[in-house]
Formats: sequence, structure tokens, C-alpha cells
Amino acid sequence: MRVFITSDNIISALGFTTAENFAAITAYRSGIALTADKHISATPVMAATIERTTLEERAKALTDGGKYSPVEQLLILSITDTLQQQHLTRPEGSTALILSTTKGNVAALGGRNDIPDEAFLSHTARRVADYFGIAETDTYLISNACISGVSALIMAARLIDEGLYSKAIVAGCDVLSPFITSGFLSFKSVSPQCCRPYDAARNGLNLGEACGSVLLTSEYTPGGIAITGGSITNDANHISGPSRTGDGLFYAIRHAMDEAGVTPEEVDFVNAHGTATAYNDEMESKAIHLARLQQVPVDSLKPYFGHTLGASGVIESIICAHAMQQSMIPATLHFEQLGVPCPIVVEATHRTGVRTDVCVKTASGFGGCNAAIVLQKNASANRPRPQLAPIHAIAHCRIAGGEIVLDGQTLFSCDPDTPFATFIREAYKAIDGNNMKFYKMSDLGKTAYIATEVLLQKTPTFVPTEAGIILANRSASLDTDRRHQDIIDNEGEAAAAPAVFVYTLPNVAAGEVCIRHKIQGENTFFIGDTYQPDRLERYARSAMSRDGLQYCIVGWCDFLQGRYLADLKLFTTK
Amino acid sequence: MEELVKELKQQLIDELNLEEMTPEDIDTEAPLFGDEGLGLDSIDALEIILILERNYGIKIENPAEGKEIFYSVDTLARYIESHRA
Repeated sequence: MRVFITSDNIISALGFTTAENFAAITAYRSGIALTADKHISATPVMAATIERTTLEERAKALTDGGKYSPVEQLLILSITDTLQQQHLTRPEGSTALILSTTKGNVAALGGRNDIPDEAFLSHTARRVADYFGIAETDTYLISNACISGVSALIMAARLIDEGLYSKAIVAGCDVLSPFITSGFLSFKSVSPQCCRPYDAARNGLNLGEACGSVLLTSEYTPGGIAITGGSITNDANHISGPSRTGDGLFYAIRHAMDEAGVTPEEVDFVNAHGTATAYNDEMESKAIHLARLQQVPVDSLKPYFGHTLGASGVIESIICAHAMQQSMIPATLHFEQLGVPCPIVVEATHRTGVRTDVCVKTASGFGGCNAAIVLQKNASANRPRPQLAPIHAIAHCRIAGGEIVLDGQTLFSCDPDTPFATFIREAYKAIDGNNMKFYKMSDLGKTAYIATEVLLQKTPTFVPTEAGIILANRSASLDTDRRHQDIIDNEGEAAAAPAVFVYTLPNVAAGEVCIRHKIQGENTFFIGDTYQPDRLERYARSAMSRDGLQYCIVGWCDFLQGRYLADLKLFTTK
Repeated sequence: MEELVKELKQQLIDELNLEEMTPEDIDTEAPLFGDEGLGLDSIDALEIILILERNYGIKIENPAEGKEIFYSVDTLARYIESHRA
């Protein structure tokens, strides 16, 4: 794989262009500050926010006064800048648009009781795609917690590498609202100071807002930065806590490096997730050791941008690419004394004039997901992509209208009007379920859990790293999102419940399935208006071939306000 | 104390979604976390912190502090007794 970054843009607390952002980092400037803005949080928090008045003005000027949400404004402004650097106003030829976000325009749920169209991630995707004249069939949206941005880059690189598109725009964006800040505060994972990744004195993360976009191409660009490998894995350990061994992240790094064909000695730096929570940084230090990268400089960009969620993978990769061009390894701001169990190389000052030919960029997130990509300068050889293995479905489970059907056979049924809670409880008993955790899951989680429980009934045991799960739906986690918003609207932001908030990410439902069946391979959650099984299966085939998966669960799983539909197939290469 | 123990068990059942359990099913002395006992996890611990704040006016800022306090319903009840606002 060798897919080049041709142009890019970052909008964050540090500026509206990549140049402004890069200059701020070079000058050790952080975008994190105390904010008392009630649109961010009821209680003041340390966060990296984007100045809304400037954003609004710039977006209005560009779109002739068009009415767009802040997330849409950011995506349109960012992509426009990225395209303009290539003297384009609209993409030309076959171009895919791959968006990444965790919560999109979820702020639209605030102060009302229903779920407006604007809150759907697919609505945001459609408005942005329409603005640039990109068809629905060429638009993808990934919502896979904090690895979303890296996942989107991996997917784009795969699509281009396989010749489905000659170019792809990848854009990641998240903005803050009481919805997000109250949830992270309830997890007690927010630091009252500037975050200090890998430091002995670290005490949590800071949230941040950002949007980043890149234009990727298959065309060889002399001296350019290319994505040469990528992989997505799961810890299959816990839905919010990172792995205690670092195995999941290690597998992602190893696969990505194998695909790129680089050895640990060739890696010049690792740009890790580095959120500065106790457990995340601890886990990363273990994974870095397992990958034999303990001698390689590791840095985190979170002290500059904060944790920008679905944007982080995109903007941090852009900074890595520019740093590589400048032969610089960015410092981890505020770092003083190492405080992770496995020693790694972290520095408080930028390294300049050093070799920066190979960078490993990683991310990890709720739902146990991990992702890694390899960025390379002067990547001379384009390693041939693996032959896509043929795959075929060996089981099919459908849950709809009070019925659970496996391979055409009804396993359980009740009156289609039965309320979901009763239906799913009875169905769970009928399949002899005895996992106490089942009852704690969101309704989307329960639907996915039972569907896969049934789907995998006849599957022989598999190696955890050789199984994956790729899901899609329309409503993301909006059903739980509504619940979380109701709690903070009615009882105040301090009443936010961690057990509810954790399910405000659709991929956490997939994470439950990974834990139950020990699935540690590819895991990606797509959001779209319609179920496009061909496209989903095509992606599954690509992921399975590249990471050597034997089994992959693929399909649709949606739940919204009592309406449910699961249609999952188990594919195998065997 | 006995009243408090019973009340706590009901709150745990309601707040932690311990479906189909009754207060009688919860052993007062048994560990709440880990593989034995109720098998609660870190998210449940955060929810228990919320129960203490909301229902008893007790604030625990650092989840690590909770480890001994949250060992069992018994230790939890004793802590509430001595710290109730």
C-alpha cells in the first residue's frame, strides 16, 4: 500500500490552517484554556475550543449565508481549503468522501424531547457531500469512538490501493457540548490542569474541538508522505477501560508495520494516542514494548489540541506528516517525569534535524478499539497489495418484528407488537443467556449481542485475532444519546450517568460482542441512511484479506425508540 | 444499619440494572467486584459514586479511594453511617 497525502487542513483552537496549527506546535503553544462557556459545560473546564464567531463568519462568507451546524461549517471550511490547495473547488474524477466523527451534531438534542433530523450523523454526511457534489454511494461515515479518524484514513487508503477510487477526501470532526463534557466528567477522566501524557503527575485528559481533512491519492508524489500500512483491532476486554496488557494495540501496530514492510529499527517516531488518563498511557507503554519500539521516541499531541475525539486521528496524522517533512519530532508539551510501567522515550523538547522517514501513528478508544497506521517519507517501493480472498456467508441471523431467524429458521417469536424490553428479555432467556452484564447494555447493544449469540451458534472456535466485526446502521447510538441528554436536561449536567454515557457510541455495542466472543480483529462501525450490503461486504473482504481474518460478522444493526432491526451475516474465507 | 443495608441493596439493583435480583439475593459480606460476588466493574464503581453523592451527600473524588469502601454492601453501609452529611 502506498497512498499519498497531497494536501490537508486543520481547524482547531490553534488556528484555521495547517500552517497556523503547525507553527503553534513548533512554538510550544497549547490551545487548552479554562472555558466557562455554557455551550461547552455548566462548570468551567480546561478545554481547547474553536472561536465560534469567527467560524460562523467564515462559513457564512463561504456558503453565501447557508445555514449549517458548527460541525458542517467546520467540515465544509476544512475540505474547501484542502481542495483549494490543489486548485479545486469540487473534487474531480472518482473521489470518495470518508468522514469520521464520534458525536457530530449531537448538540441538536439539547433542550427538546424528540430526535430532530439534524442530530443524525447521516444528515451531516449528506449535507457535506451535497455541498461538494459527492454522491451518497461515494460517501462513508465512520463512528468508531476515538479511533474514528485513523480508521477513516485506513479505509480510504484501502479503497485507493484497491483501485476503487483514484482519490479520497478524509475529514474528521468533533465539537464540544454539555453532552460530551458532562459524560467525560462523569467518568472522572478530565484533568483540571493541562494534560500531561506519560507523566508521573498525569491526572486525566482535556477535551478539544477540531476538524481536519486530507486529500489522498494513488499518484506518486516525490518526497511526499504516504500511508503504507494500517490495521484496526479490539482488546475484547472491557467497554471503557483499556486492555491491561496492551495486546490489542500491539496487534494493530504489528499488522500495520507488517503491511508497510518496516522493522522496529526503521521506525523514527511513534505518535501515540496519549490522552494522559492513568490507564490509557499505561496500556500504550506496554503495547510499545510488545512491538519492540521502546527505543523509539514517542509523543502525544493532546497537550496542544486536547482530545479531539473523532478528529484526533486525522489532525494528529497531518501534524506527523508535516513534522516528517521538516525532519522534526514534536515534543510532548508539559512532560517532566516518566510515569508508565514500561519505560518509553518521551521528550519535552522538539527534536529537529533528525531522520523522520517512518512514523507509526496509533489511536485507542471506548469499545476496546485500537488502530495504527504507518506514515512514510520517500516510500520508494509500493508493496503489492494482497490478493483479495474470496469470502462467503455461512450463517445469517435476522431480528425484526418480534422474530429471531437463523438461516431461514425461526428460533424465537412473539407478537410483533410486543414492547422491545419484553421481547429481548424473553428472547435472551430462550437462548439460555446467563450473562449478568446483558441487562446493563443499551438496547442497541442487546440487539447486537443476541444477534451474534445466535449467528455464532454453529461456528467452530476461532483464533481471536482472526475474527472481526463490521457493522452499520442509520441511528448510530441516538436512542441512548436521547437518554443521556434527558438526564442532563432534567437533572443537571452533574447527574450524567457513566453507565448511560458509555453507550453513546455505536461501536460499544460491537465492543460487547468482541468481549463475549473474544473477537480481536478489525472492528468498524459505519453510519448511513440506507443499508448497502454490497459495499459493506466489499470492505469486509478487504479487511479480512489484509489482516488474515478467517471470520467476520458483517451487517446492519439499528435501534431507535423501540424500533429494531438486525441483519447480520457471518463471512469466512474458509 | 439494617435498614440502610436493605436500602442500599435496592439502590444497587435499580441503578446498576441488576435485572431479576432481589435484595435477598445479595450477600451483605460478599465482594461486589471481581469474578466472585456480583461481578461489578469500573463503570459500576462510578455509578456507586453517584449514588453516594445523590442519595447521601458523600463525595468521593478519586475513584481509587473507593476500592476498600466499595468492597461489599457491608463496608459501603459502614462508610455511609460514619460519613453521612
